[in-house]
Amino acid sequence: MSAFDRARDALDRLVDASASERILISTAALVLSILIGAVLVLVAGRMTTCTAGEAVYYFGTGFCYDPVVVFDRLFLGALGDPFSGNWSPNGQFAVTLRETTVLIFTGLSVALAFRAGIFNIGTQGQMVVGALATALGVLWASSLVSGALGTVVLIPFGLFVGAVFGGLYGAVPGLLKAYADANEVITTIMLNFIATGVALYLVSGVFKDPESAANQTVPLPEFAQFPALLFGARQDFSIVALGFGLLALAALYYVLEHTSFGYDVRTSGVQPEAAEYGGVDAKRTVVASLTLSGALGGIAGAMYVMMILGTFQTGIPSYGFDGITVSILAGNNPLGVGIAALLFGVLKSGTTVVQFATDVPPQLVGVLRGLIILFVAMPEFFRLAARRVPGAGSRPEAVATDGGTVTESGGETDE
Amino acid sequence: MSETPADHDDADTGTTAEPDENGLFERYSTRALVAGVTIVSVVALLLAGLLFPDSLAGTLADTLTSRNTLAAALRLSVPIAFAALGGIFAEKAGVINIGLEGLLIISAFSAIYVADITGGVWIGFAGGVVASTLLAALFAVVTIGFRADQIIAGLAVWLIALGLAPFASQVIYGSPNTPTVATSPSINVPVLADIPFFGALFSASPSVYMLFAAVLGSWYVFERTAFGRWIRASGENPKALDTAGVSVTHVRYAAVLISGVLAGMGGAALSLDLGQFTGNGPTMVNGKGFIAIVAYLFGNYNPVGAFLSTMLFAGLDAVQTVLQIQGVGIPRQLIRITPFVVVIVVLALVGRTRLPEAAGEHYDTEE
Repeated sequence: MSAFDRARDALDRLVDASASERILISTAALVLSILIGAVLVLVAGRMTTCTAGEAVYYFGTGFCYDPVVVFDRLFLGALGDPFSGNWSPNGQFAVTLRETTVLIFTGLSVALAFRAGIFNIGTQGQMVVGALATALGVLWASSLVSGALGTVVLIPFGLFVGAVFGGLYGAVPGLLKAYADANEVITTIMLNFIATGVALYLVSGVFKDPESAANQTVPLPEFAQFPALLFGARQDFSIVALGFGLLALAALYYVLEHTSFGYDVRTSGVQPEAAEYGGVDAKRTVVASLTLSGALGGIAGAMYVMMILGTFQTGIPSYGFDGITVSILAGNNPLGVGIAALLFGVLKSGTTVVQFATDVPPQLVGVLRGLIILFVAMPEFFRLAARRVPGAGSRPEAVATDGGTVTESGGETDE
Repeated sequence: MSETPADHDDADTGTTAEPDENGLFERYSTRALVAGVTIVSVVALLLAGLLFPDSLAGTLADTLTSRNTLAAALRLSVPIAFAALGGIFAEKAGVINIGLEGLLIISAFSAIYVADITGGVWIGFAGGVVASTLLAALFAVVTIGFRADQIIAGLAVWLIALGLAPFASQVIYGSPNTPTVATSPSINVPVLADIPFFGALFSASPSVYMLFAAVLGSWYVFERTAFGRWIRASGENPKALDTAGVSVTHVRYAAVLISGVLAGMGGAALSLDLGQFTGNGPTMVNGKGFIAIVAYLFGNYNPVGAFLSTMLFAGLDAVQTVLQIQGVGIPRQLIRITPFVVVIVVLALVGRTRLPEAAGEHYDTEE
């Protein structure tokens, strides 16, 4: 059996074994995380103080926070209360789609790297770099054109600038990994800190908007931002941007599954030695996939600037880290990223609703993010749980699937 | 020497080509080079400072030779070095613990919380260690018991702590930052504390002395005890350990729990030293857990080496703090990122670190 066949075999096995199982595991992880989150809300509700009138009672005990209200607000609130009768696309639902749009790009960024067997924790930093570059590039270009023509020219230009700079910043850990053997997990995390620091320096200094107290760049003119079609302008959502996101999902799916570059990427991720033996240039694949991954992160930054903020401001929300969760939840499948991004869009947008409706700290969503990753990472847990359920034990043992990489246990199963 | 399929962090593939001894020698020389360059540049800087006391070099030389800088470097190295020691235990045993950052965060908060409700600094310290050990136990169950991918589970530990600590602080204190609690006074060794510069070694907070003890203790465990040999075997050749009748699973559980205890000491010392936990953004831990990983990689999994490389990073941090205060013309925001840049440069120079052979892999006992 040639190395090439072996790689293809491993790949097929991974895809076959995981498709339905992975959806089950992701769903179970989500449900379990929410249950633990509910317990956490109850416990937190015991640790804080409130008046007797505000408390809710479960099992004869009073709690200051009500998990039912929290999760009702988190999910239904994020969808703009579809059951309340006066649902409108201009409400919180538009915010959810807006968050989803950015998360699609960060999720794809992480997923692409994962598929190549690379942990890109640096999407956040690549997004910061792309966002800053877009804010400055488009600001400069917006003095040259204006009006509707300006929008048509500037938006692709802004996305391009974001992609280029995010891509270059992603190439750094790629080169370090390929040619200096520096572990990308560490370098990308360090590069996140560096990107934030340098951006703060630039935006509080040379590029600071003199008319603003905040550390931000001069705001872009209205025509240099995504137009609000169909939806209200107040929620900063643009269906055009979401369209770009869906296009990117389909494009990445196509690239990964139907091009030779995609094949190189996938085989490098599953069987690096076999891939190299089969003629894949490992170093080039590493650099290329991290560059492309960085470019997607950079586009996320461009989206954030041109759709949501209209300027670059320090303290960009953690879309990059959420992208890790989105990707892991989606099993690193580009199409799955769409669903997982919508789910996380709900969580992010719901957080603000929860904040309005209750006193529960918004960091709760951060905890949920960690829990979801933890549970998705341990499919074995759910398999064991499933075996304990009568009648479910007949399912054949599947390949260990975690965040999209095969971990064959030790050296004792293979030759 | 089997191939390790799908090794996503890639650092331990490809070491099969050369005998370990050779590889060690090569890496040793890169390390020696880095160390040599560091020493030469420090000496050059001191000389330049002596010749031109009014220049930037003069300021830097003053800063480097100041006793306060050494004291600050020691203080800053405490959380990093403790976490690095913890990382060595886990990784030598074959479990890559990338969640050190999370362990530091959770213990930093818990220490303050317990100290606040009990009023005792040392009870708070113990509380921090317990919290970190519990989180490490969860990590151990998930990775060893349920065979989760170590890197992803480690990330989860980090993200859970990153959310949980500010969440709890917000619930309890109404802000991501806690109120301040009393700190423990520093311990002065009579006479020795009066030595110029090195006196800082003998006039430090208790956590610094605990760190010295932990470094030597860890070194002793690895070099002189059976348990240390088991840990090495568990990471390098679990099958052999299994054959010898020692449970790989037990050794790995023990090692991960020890990493939780050590990281917990670091996190507790970090917050109790300041008397407060700050939970905004990346929290007060701010990447120290990740710098710890680089410190022990650079220190080649040797406790003393890890401590020395931590001192290099912490020393840089101490110098940059002083420079920020003095305002030497380099913008503050840029000085602040120097430790992160240095980490990348060091990692690029040291290059391939040889991870324990079986690190990152699950081990199945063959029954």
